[in-house]
Amino acid sequence: MKKLFYAITCNEPKRLVKPILSNVLANLSNLLPFLCMAYIIRQIYDYFITGNLNDFYLWLSWGGMLICFVITYLLEDIACKITYRDGYMTSADGRVKLAEHIRELPLGVLMGKSSGEIGNTMMNDFSKTESAMTHILPQIVSGVIVAVAASAAMIIADWRMGTAMFLGFPVAVFIMLGMRNLERKLDTRLSAARVEQASKLQEYLYGMRIMKAYNIQGENFGKLKSACTDYRDACIRLEGRIAPLNLVSTAFLRLGLPLMTIAGVLLIGGGTLEIPEFAMFLLIGARVFDPLSVAIMNYAELIMCGMAGERISRLLEEPAMDGKKDAPNTHDIAFHHVTFGYGTKEVLHDITAAFKPDTMTALVGLSGSGKSTMLKLAARFYDPATGKVLFGGVDEKEIEPDKLMKRISMVFQDVYLFQDTVANNIRYGRDNATQEEIENAARLANCYDFIMRMPQGFHTMVGEGGSTLSGGEKQRISIARAVLKDAPVIFLDEATSSLDPENEAEIQQAISRLIKGRTVVVIAHKLKTIIFADNILVFDKGRIVEQGTHKELLSRNGLYAKLWNLQTSTEGWKIN
Amino acid sequence: MKQKEKRKQGMARLIELSGEKNTALISSIVLSVIGTLCQLIPFWSVYRVMAELLKHTVTGEAINTELLIRLAVYGLAGLLAGYLATYLGGMKAHTFAYCVICGVRLKAAEHIGKLPMGYVSNNSVGKIKQILDADVEQIEGFLAHQLPDLVSTVVMLMAMFIVMFTENVWLALACLIPLAVGFVCQFTVMIKIMKSGGVQQNFDALEKISSSSIQYVKGMPSIKIFGQTVRSFRQFYDDIISYRDFTTKMTEVIRPGFVRFRMFVLSVATFIVPIGLLLFLKNPQDLSFVITYLFFLILAPAAATPVLKLRGFSENMNIITEGVKRVEAILNEAPLQEAAECKIPEKHDVAFSNVRFSYDENGKTILDGVSFTAQQGEITALVGASGAGKSTIAELIPRFWDVTDGSIKIGGIDIREIRQADLMEQMSFVFQESYLLSDTIYNNIVLGKPDATKEQVEKAAMAAQCHDFIRSLPEGYQTKIGDGGVHLSGGEMQRVSIARAILKNAPILILDEASAYADAENEHEMQLALTELIKHKTVIMIAHRLTTICNANQILVVEDGKIAEAGTHEQLMRKNKRYAAMWKAGMESANWRMEQGKEVSVQ
Repeated sequence: MKKLFYAITCNEPKRLVKPILSNVLANLSNLLPFLCMAYIIRQIYDYFITGNLNDFYLWLSWGGMLICFVITYLLEDIACKITYRDGYMTSADGRVKLAEHIRELPLGVLMGKSSGEIGNTMMNDFSKTESAMTHILPQIVSGVIVAVAASAAMIIADWRMGTAMFLGFPVAVFIMLGMRNLERKLDTRLSAARVEQASKLQEYLYGMRIMKAYNIQGENFGKLKSACTDYRDACIRLEGRIAPLNLVSTAFLRLGLPLMTIAGVLLIGGGTLEIPEFAMFLLIGARVFDPLSVAIMNYAELIMCGMAGERISRLLEEPAMDGKKDAPNTHDIAFHHVTFGYGTKEVLHDITAAFKPDTMTALVGLSGSGKSTMLKLAARFYDPATGKVLFGGVDEKEIEPDKLMKRISMVFQDVYLFQDTVANNIRYGRDNATQEEIENAARLANCYDFIMRMPQGFHTMVGEGGSTLSGGEKQRISIARAVLKDAPVIFLDEATSSLDPENEAEIQQAISRLIKGRTVVVIAHKLKTIIFADNILVFDKGRIVEQGTHKELLSRNGLYAKLWNLQTSTEGWKIN
Repeated sequence: MKQKEKRKQGMARLIELSGEKNTALISSIVLSVIGTLCQLIPFWSVYRVMAELLKHTVTGEAINTELLIRLAVYGLAGLLAGYLATYLGGMKAHTFAYCVICGVRLKAAEHIGKLPMGYVSNNSVGKIKQILDADVEQIEGFLAHQLPDLVSTVVMLMAMFIVMFTENVWLALACLIPLAVGFVCQFTVMIKIMKSGGVQQNFDALEKISSSSIQYVKGMPSIKIFGQTVRSFRQFYDDIISYRDFTTKMTEVIRPGFVRFRMFVLSVATFIVPIGLLLFLKNPQDLSFVITYLFFLILAPAAATPVLKLRGFSENMNIITEGVKRVEAILNEAPLQEAAECKIPEKHDVAFSNVRFSYDENGKTILDGVSFTAQQGEITALVGASGAGKSTIAELIPRFWDVTDGSIKIGGIDIREIRQADLMEQMSFVFQESYLLSDTIYNNIVLGKPDATKEQVEKAAMAAQCHDFIRSLPEGYQTKIGDGGVHLSGGEMQRVSIARAILKNAPILILDEASAYADAENEHEMQLALTELIKHKTVIMIAHRLTTICNANQILVVEDGKIAEAGTHEQLMRKNKRYAAMWKAGMESANWRMEQGKEVSVQ
C-alpha cells in the first residue's frame, strides 16, 4: 500500500494530503444533513409517542440541513479545485522530471528501449497517475476514513447496533487487499497477451507486402487471429475473476444495514432499544458506506494506476550519466583494457587501442564482431564494464556528457529529422549559427541545390521522422549538421543500403569535405574505400586481431587479406 | 439528437460486423437493470421496518418481530440477488464486448488486406495500428459499462418516479426538481464548452503534447549527439507547462457545473424535507402521509449513487465516437476490385501500356504515360534516381495499387481480370528490405509453397546459399526468427527470402534492389543465390549499381515518372545521355577513397 502511494505521486506522497483532507471534509459534510434528517424523524416518532410537537425544532433541523448544503457546496468546490490543480501540477512536474532525467541517461539505455515505451510512460502513465491522484485514491481513502469515523461514532452511541453495522467492513477491506495480488498476477498474463496481439498487428501491417505476395492476408494469417482471440479470452478470464471479488467486497460493506436492522428488531423486542433511536440508526446507517461503495468500484483501476506509477519510477531509477570535467583540447581517444557486454553477453573482450589525433582509423570485420559497439563506447553511449575509455587522456566517465558530445560529430545511416524547418534541422549542429553559416554548410554537404528546389527552400517544414526526404537527402542533411558543428572528431558509419549512383557520388564528395583535417573513425563495409586509412583495426568476435595500414595488413596475409580477396574477387554481381 | 442517431448506427454496424448476436447485449442490459433495482430493496426494507415501527407506536400493538425480521431478511436477499444479477449481467456484457472488439479487429485487419498497398504505406502503419489496437479497445468500455449503466439508471429513475408520483405529487416534485437542476447545471457548462470549441481544443492540446513528447523521446539520441539537450528540453518543458495550464483552465470552466451537479444529486433530501414538513404540519395526525414521507426520505437519496456514475458518460462518449469513426473510416475504404472471371495467363510477358498513376485523385503524378514490354524469359532493368518511380512500376504489377489510367497485361490479359490469388501465383518478389515473419526459418521459407516437402525446402535453401548457415543455428530450420529468437544479418535475411522465392518458382520475378543488403562477407553467396533464382524467368529488376545490370536484355531509364531512355547497355552508352551520365557517376563513386587530407572544392 505504501508503495502504491509513492508510485502514483512520483515519490512525494505528501502531495496526497490536501486532496485526501479536502475529500474527507466534503464527504463528512455530506453525511451531516442525514444526521439532521434523522433528528427530524426522531421528533416525528416522539410526537406519536408523547403527543408533543415543536415546530421550531423541526424547522431548525432543516435549517441545519440547508447550512450543511451551503458548506458542502463550498467544500466540494474547494476540494475539486485543489485536487485537480494538484493533480495537474504533479503530473506536469513529473513529466518535467522525467524529461530532465531522460536527457541525462546514457544513449545506449535510451536506444535499448523502444521510443514507444518511453513515450507511452511520458504521456499515458502520467495521465493515469494523475487521475489516481485526483479522484480514485482520495475517494477511496476518504471513503474508508468516513466509514470508520461514522462506525466509531455509532459504536460509541450504541455498541450493539454499531458493531452490527461495522461487521462486514473489515472483511470488505481484506478482500480488497487480496484482490491486489490476484490482479497483479492476472495482469501480467493479460499484458503478455496484449503485447502479443500488438506485435502481431504490427507484423501484419508492416509485412503487408509479404502478406499480399503470399496470399496470407486477413483470415489466412492465422497467427493474428489466434493472438486476438487469446487476448479476448485473457480479458474475459480477468474480468471473471476480478469482478466477483469486487462485488463480494461491496456486498460485505452493504451487509451492515440488513444486519443492523435485524439486531435492532431483536433489541427492541428485548426492550433495550427505543424505537426513535432505532429510526435514527437506520437513517444514518443507510448512508455511511455510500462514499466508500462508490469509490471501491474504481479500486481495480487504482491498481492499474499504481502499475503505471511503478513504470515511471523504474525509468526514473535508471542511473544517469555523470561527469563534471571539461573535455580536453587534445583529440585522441584511447581504449585501455575495455570489456563490455549487453546484458550478460560480453561482446568486447579486453580492447586496447587508440584513435590518434588528426588521423583516420578504420574499423573492419564481420557483422557482429564488435566494431559498432566500440564506436558507441567511444562516444559514451555506454560506459565500459571494465577498463577505461580516455578522451585526450581524461577518463570519459569524468567528462561532462554535453561537453564531450561537443567534440564529436557522428554521421550514421539512420538520420532523425525533427518536425521543423530544414534550416532549423541543420541548426541542430550549432544553435547560434547564422543563416549564412547554415547555407554554407548546406553547400559543403551538397544539399543546397535540392533544398532550394523545395517549395519554401530552407524554411520548408520536414515531417516527423523526415518522411518527405529521400534517404540520400537525409544523409546529406546530417552531414550538413556535422559540418556546421565543426567538431574535431568525426565518427562515420558507412551506409550499407544502396543509393542511386548520382546520390552516392554527392554523399561521397560531402564526406570528403567533412573529414578534412580531423580525427576520423570510420566503420567500413567496402574495404576499398578505406585503403588510405592511417590505421585499420580488424575485429573478430569482439577482439582486435590485427592492426596496421592497408599495405601492412595485406602483407601479413591474415583476416584482412582474406576479406580483401573475397571482396575484390567478387566485386559486383553481374547478371547474364 | 440527430447526432446520437448517427452515432448509434456506427456502433450498431460494428456489432453487426463482428458477427456477435445482439441478444447477448440485451440480456446483459436486462440483468443489469434487475441488479440496479434489486439494490434498492435493502432501502425499501428499511423503509418498511420504520413504517411498521411507526404504526406500532401509534396503535400500541405488540411488535411483530417475525415480520420485521422477515423484512430485514428480504433486504439481505435483495442485496445479494442484486449483486448476483449485476455480476451475471457484467460478465455477459464483458464477454459480449470482448467478442465484439475481437471480431471488429479481425474484420478490419482482413479488410485492410484487401485494400491497395498504398493504404498501409510505412507512414500510416503506426496510425492504423493505433486504431486497431487502442481505439477499438474503447468500444469495450462502452458496451460493457457505459451502455448498461446508462440504461439501468434511466430505468431505475423512471421506475422510482412513477412510484413517487403515484404516492405523492408534491414530494415527487421536490425530488425531481433538484435532480433536474443538477443536470441543467452540467449541461449548460457542456454546451458552453462545445460552443467555444473546447472539445476540439482539448483534443488538439492532447495531440500536441503527445507528438511533442514522442519527438522529444525519439529525437533524444540526435539531440544528445548534437549537445542540444537544453534547447530541446526547454521546448518540451514549455509544451508540458502550456498543456498543464490549458487543462487547469479547462477544469476551471467545467468545475462549477460539475460541483453543482454533484451537490444537487447528493442533496435531494434537503429539498424533500421542507415540503414534507409543510404537509406534515398541516395535518400531523395523518399517519399514512408520514409513512409516505419516510419512503421518500429513505429511497430518494439511494438514487444518487447510480446517477453520479452517469457523469463521465458524455466525456467518454466523445472519445468512443471518435474511435468508432476511425474504425468505420477503415472499413469504408474501397477494396481492390476482384475479377469476376477466372482468367489465368498462359504466357508471361508483362506489358505496360500508357500507364498513369498517382496515389490519390488530386495528388502528384507519379507515373506519367509509361509503356514497355518485359519479354518472357528476358531481363528488364529499371534504373534512375530515387523517387523517379521505379519501385512504383514494380509494385503496380502485383496490384499493390491499381493504375489510374492505362493498363498492365500479363500474357495479354489485363491484371485486373485475373483473380488476386491467381495473379500472385504468377510472380515472386525479393524486396530491398526483406521482411521475415517472427516464426521459424522453415515456416518462413515454406510460405513460398505451402505444400512443399521438407526436401524441397532444403533444396531451395541450398540453392539460395543459406542451408549451411541455417544448419549452424541452434535449432536448425526450426530456429525462431525475431523477438525471442535469433537475429539474422541483413544478408542472411535476404537469402532466406530468396529461398522462399526459389521455392515458389513463379514464372515472373520482381527484384527491388535485391543485392543491396549484401554484407561484405556474404556478397559472394548472395550473388550465387540470385543467379540461381533468375534462371528462365521473366525478370523485372531495379538496381542502383549499374554494373549489375549492364547485360540486361533491356534497360529502362526512369526519370520523373516517365521512361526517358530504353535500350541495351551498348545502345544507351552510345546515346551518351542520362544513362551514360549515371554510368560515369557510378564509376566515380566506385573508385572513391576516403581521404582526410584531400581538398574538395564546391561547384
